[in-house]
Amino acid sequence: MSHKKNHEDQKYIDGLVQNNAFVIQTIYDKFAPKVINYIKQNSGDVANAKDVIQETIITIYHQATEKGLQLTCPFDAYFFLLCKRKWLNQLKKRGKKEVTINEEVLSKDDDAQELAFETSLFEQQHSLFKDMFQKLGQACKDLLTATFKIKSMEKVAESLGVTYAYARKKKSLCIGKLTKMVQESPRYKNLKP
Amino acid sequence: MQDQDFILFEDYLSGYLSLEEKQAFETRLENDAPFNKAFEAYKETSGFLEHHIKNTAGTEAFKANLERVSSAYFNKQVPSKTKRMNPWYYSMAAAAILAIGFFIAQQFSSPVYDDFANYGTISLTVRGTQNNLTTKAETAFNNHNYKDAERYFLDMLETDKDNIELQLYRAVSLVELNKYDEADKLYNNIIQTPSVYKNKAIWYLALSKLKQGDEEACVNVLKTLPEEAEDYQQAQELIDKLD
Repeated sequence: MSHKKNHEDQKYIDGLVQNNAFVIQTIYDKFAPKVINYIKQNSGDVANAKDVIQETIITIYHQATEKGLQLTCPFDAYFFLLCKRKWLNQLKKRGKKEVTINEEVLSKDDDAQELAFETSLFEQQHSLFKDMFQKLGQACKDLLTATFKIKSMEKVAESLGVTYAYARKKKSLCIGKLTKMVQESPRYKNLKP
Repeated sequence: MQDQDFILFEDYLSGYLSLEEKQAFETRLENDAPFNKAFEAYKETSGFLEHHIKNTAGTEAFKANLERVSSAYFNKQVPSKTKRMNPWYYSMAAAAILAIGFFIAQQFSSPVYDDFANYGTISLTVRGTQNNLTTKAETAFNNHNYKDAERYFLDMLETDKDNIELQLYRAVSLVELNKYDEADKLYNNIIQTPSVYKNKAIWYLALSKLKQGDEEACVNVLKTLPEEAEDYQQAQELIDKLD
């Protein structure tokens, strides 16, 4: 965790966490036009921009609710970098090479670069965890879902018709299994900075 | 890592270890690097699950809200995609605009409340947690049925009196019902708070003054709207028109 002072634009992050429609609207009004322009100038259209912006906001929401994202730079620079990277990655996947990368204009803010990098890592990690959780056996999935929804392990055991001791043990083994699956995935090695 | 380790990790995280066991565990974390690394990984997985599973309803509600705002925003962008018109239509359109413009100019010589009062639609319900009253209030407000909406907001505020979002919508409804004193009092309260609705309240208070015909008060309120406010541009337009 860094100890840098939060930027005043943290209000956008807080608004997303609160699912505040005014704040979401403001983010679109203020920051979407630049992203739309960039994508249009780089082999994309408005529909691509819509998806990229939406996915980026969802990632920020996840990082903020799960990891308490603290903004140390202007939202504008951070948001634009994230959208830009997401779009360039999509272009790369489509095999399009003719991409204008105008790094000088964009890399003025080191804090923004750093934070956007952290967020991209978070996004990949989050999606890896999600995919691996889906691949987990049904018994583990059911038990973990019950465990994290219901606070008391006694009630979890009761609802699944197993003993308390078994439920507790099984919980740790299922989390252990998921941890191993994540670490053994080929995608995992790209996730450490 | 062995199953035994996972069980130990979980017992530590859940607070099941005795004081001695806990101290032994923490000492091992300090001295045994692979053990520490495995524990951190386990903790990370547990943290992910905690968020992913517990916040499912919250995430769904967020995505739904986001989709609504996003679609509304991008629908406004559509005109750039419209087909090219036959040039012949331009002259007809120009004539029509002239006629309409003349009509409007005659009707309204000064800016009116309705030109600026655009409250959009509100969304109070969260999937999975909505209750009847919330839905009723939202529907009434979005259908411009301010009389019922005001009553529902008042009911909701009885159990949730510090909810600034509800206060704001109630104030809007009051303005629509011409109950200005109560509305302005609510707006002024919201303006005093550090809430995210503060700037909205300033803008809406100005609109209330405009509807009351008090142009001077309207301009004075508008001038307190900070530059970063979402409605700043509109406020400047209104100031220009009123001056």
